Amino acid sequence: MDWLFLIEVVLSGLGSGALFALTGIAFVLIYKATKVINLAVGEMLMLCAYFFFGLTTALALPVWLAIILTVIGGGILGGVVERALIRPMLGESPISVFMVTVGLSSVLIGFVELVWGGDPRTLPNFLPTKPVFIGDAYVSPKIAVCFLVASLLIAGFLLVFRKWRGGVALRATAADQGAAFSCGINVPAVFSISWIVAGMATAGSGILIGSIGGISPSMGVFGLTVLVAVIVGGLDSIAGVLVAGLAIGVIEALVGTYLGGEFKLFVTFVTLIIAMMIRPYGLFGTIEIERL
Amino acid sequence: MIIFPTRRKLLSYAAAGCLALGIQTSARAADDIVIGASMPLTGAFGFAGIPLNLGIQDYLKIANDAGGIGGRKIKYVSEDTAYAVDKSIAAFNRITASEKVSLYYGDSTGFAKTINAELSRRDSILMAGTSFATELNDPKNFPYQFIPGPDYSQMIGILLEYIAKTTPGAKIALVNSDTEFGRDPIAATEKRAAELGLKIVGKIATPPTSVDVSTEVLKLRRADPDYTIFHGYVLAPLPEFMTQMKQLGLKSKFMGTFWSMDNSIWANSAAVADGYMGVMPYRYYFDTEGTSPTLDKIRQLRPEYQTIYYTQGFLTAMLMIEAAKRTLDAKKDLTASNMKASLNSIKDFDTGGIIGVPISISGNTIPVGRVYQYDGANKTMKPVSDWIKIAK
Amino acid sequence: MRISSAHETYAQAESFLDTNVQRVMLLLLFAGLVVFPFLADQYWIYLACLVAIHIVGTTGLNILTGYTGLISVGQAAFMSVGAYTVAILEIHVGTPFIFNLIAAGVVAAGVGAIFGVPSLRVKGLYLAIATIAASFILHFLYTNGPSILGGTQGLSMPPARLFGYDFVRPFQLYWLFVPLTALSVFAAANLFRTRIGRAFIAIRDRDISAEVLGIPLLKYKLLSFALSSFYAGVAGGMWAYFFRVVTPESFPLIYSIFFLAAVIVGGMGTILGGILGAIFMTVIPELLKLLVSYMTFIPDATAQLSPIRTIVFGLLIVMFLLFEPQGLAETWRRIRRFFHLWPFKK
Repeated sequence: MDWLFLIEVVLSGLGSGALFALTGIAFVLIYKATKVINLAVGEMLMLCAYFFFGLTTALALPVWLAIILTVIGGGILGGVVERALIRPMLGESPISVFMVTVGLSSVLIGFVELVWGGDPRTLPNFLPTKPVFIGDAYVSPKIAVCFLVASLLIAGFLLVFRKWRGGVALRATAADQGAAFSCGINVPAVFSISWIVAGMATAGSGILIGSIGGISPSMGVFGLTVLVAVIVGGLDSIAGVLVAGLAIGVIEALVGTYLGGEFKLFVTFVTLIIAMMIRPYGLFGTIEIERL
Repeated sequence: MIIFPTRRKLLSYAAAGCLALGIQTSARAADDIVIGASMPLTGAFGFAGIPLNLGIQDYLKIANDAGGIGGRKIKYVSEDTAYAVDKSIAAFNRITASEKVSLYYGDSTGFAKTINAELSRRDSILMAGTSFATELNDPKNFPYQFIPGPDYSQMIGILLEYIAKTTPGAKIALVNSDTEFGRDPIAATEKRAAELGLKIVGKIATPPTSVDVSTEVLKLRRADPDYTIFHGYVLAPLPEFMTQMKQLGLKSKFMGTFWSMDNSIWANSAAVADGYMGVMPYRYYFDTEGTSPTLDKIRQLRPEYQTIYYTQGFLTAMLMIEAAKRTLDAKKDLTASNMKASLNSIKDFDTGGIIGVPISISGNTIPVGRVYQYDGANKTMKPVSDWIKIAK
Repeated sequence: MRISSAHETYAQAESFLDTNVQRVMLLLLFAGLVVFPFLADQYWIYLACLVAIHIVGTTGLNILTGYTGLISVGQAAFMSVGAYTVAILEIHVGTPFIFNLIAAGVVAAGVGAIFGVPSLRVKGLYLAIATIAASFILHFLYTNGPSILGGTQGLSMPPARLFGYDFVRPFQLYWLFVPLTALSVFAAANLFRTRIGRAFIAIRDRDISAEVLGIPLLKYKLLSFALSSFYAGVAGGMWAYFFRVVTPESFPLIYSIFFLAAVIVGGMGTILGGILGAIFMTVIPELLKLLVSYMTFIPDATAQLSPIRTIVFGLLIVMFLLFEPQGLAETWRRIRRFFHLWPFKK
């Protein structure tokens, strides 16, 4: 048994798990506030990555400015989608809203193909390229950065939800929209803000994922593995998405190493089914209690 | 009962509308030779579909300006398929319903396999397409199809030949995407490597959704190959593999196959791609070595760089027209079997410089190619081997 | 104008077609379906066959999602089970066409029931994601499973054969598919006049209440999954006979989403909705393509405007959900109502 190798594999699994967790935040925020599973998260992420690409190459902006602008752009995208597509669907069956996001992803893909074409591209490299060693164990520098960004962000979100009034408002809305509204919480504003913040999160993860894996109109499929992590963790739990994201990352890394890459998705989805049989609403998700 | 006639009328309008749509045929000259195409202009393969389409159009324009085939004009009808098999077949049906199609360009291995029975039944259409799948290189089961280059196994065969010559007994790692496309050449590669005395030290499959490759890199680090051969990708995740493996100081050289060998896709990651090698059956747009009248013509027609996907379309059209021309010159009917026989009669044919050596098509492929290496400083692919012919 | 339809017996009140107008319309529809292949060219017959396959698949999903309220994104995966069953039976056993299709349905029903097990614990969108798993787990089994499944290359199979006659071209298959589709739609419509169908509806409307009323949830939820997958299996079998090459990549996740979209755009919980949705989702992309090909005034329209088609198609789905949340079936009802009230309400 090569222990160093095992440690390295686990570390890299944690790193890619952080990517899941980071993108997963968008799913959770949106679900918490508006009870919508946004299947277009992958495509929003793609659009943001292309936006970043456009800013850094066509306009030749410095990277830090492009990152800020992309995050703002992601926020605007989230806000516009909420206001134009999701708000009018309020009260419709969740599956109809789910389908609206499917339609949206088709629109976003078409838009990107129209503006940037279908060619796969790479983002300018701004992340450090010097290998990181923890002890003797190698960690990819990009992955290390992703891990740091994801854990900082998630810690920040957790703090915000506990302390800040807006975070409390979000939790109140998630618990009971009617009650929250009668307590004077501006529920529609909570809807908008959570979509805007989710948009910003997709922008951030879009830049990171694009700079690791390159960008193409079909990069949105990444959203799917993330969705698994989110479901396992619980659709409405920020802490859950972190734990589940990291767990899925490590499981995939171990499976990919010791069984082979073709087993990765298979084991991921088997994990999903098992997790759902044991904890139907995820590890940390709120159990929906039904009354007659 | 006033309503009845009205409703009937409505129905009859609807029926008439359906008929009008169904029966509409476009006007055409009776003796045009028609090339149909299911083109992946959108979807996962859109990056190649658009230049492919352009390449075919450009060659046909040149051919038509030169008088077509024995005075008969060539007409090109293409339709977008979004790279989905059912839509490709819909396009095939629509185009063949309104035109008398003799030649066809298909957009995927799935389409080539699905339409094969129909091609055999019709015996009127000769087909080629985007797919270099090993499975299609089988004149018995795919009698009316051809591949305008080596198939994927032959491509890797060419790379192995090159490796065996430059580094005998080298250690090789195979990285393939876990798709039909990616897994295509694995079995043939293992067999050929053993014959050439090369050692396969690692086989890695990556699922199509994966982004991060650091786990795979860890495995490659332990295997420490002399060559890492990627297949089943276009661009991602090759740059990330190469970046990380270079960071770790691995001495491995990197190789790829046709779809990841275009010059332009590497322009943004030139530093990383420096030294990347791969097999290419065609000469690049900017290749001025020797005389190449066809490349000159392309450069004259299109002053800006054209991808190798464009070249693939261009050459495919050239071979199709050549097959049709030889058939008509021999005073035979344009049936698929006659055209395929004519195609197979191509011996030491000069493509005008698209392929650097005269070609012969004995079966379904042109088993020839050359190893190129990317020069990051000049952002161009440079040949590092001579043209390598593979014996089947 | 439709004044009244007085029923004299219960049988009459429960009958499918309660007026002569409806009967005449149905006859006209049948006549149209018979005449259609002789008038249309092979492209439209091809589309008609594809629509027939999709109607079976959508109707199946409608039983599960529209009538039982269980959302599934696994319909294409269950179709693939049917397609593989048919291909293996055709290649290795050579059993007759109808038997193969039924076998496809039965096998798919079994697999569907297995993947339906999480529905006992989770509902709604959680369940939807659980059914995505079917897609990936089955794909893995096809590529890495026993060699009888053909690995990544899949299986190529001989055509359907009936009384020594090969069904190869869409024109020939049309005569098999359309009656089959009509039969399955008719069966589905009848299902909701039985005890089982009504139990499904009760579960959809409030599953806890249904259980209180004495409907065993376990049995009926799995039954709904099995029935829905039976339809998917038959549709997959038809698909296999239609294309005759079955590969692991023939039934991607996006195809499952296609079916879900068809159910929702058509109108959940109505048989008509399933039919209209399948037609809409299959034909609209082709019509958009037709539209683009008429725009000859734009140079190289096919290449330039292709991404716009993707956008328009997505927008159409979104717009439908925004402005016609009940689906196409509701539009249809509105048109009918207009004619029923015609001279009185203008």
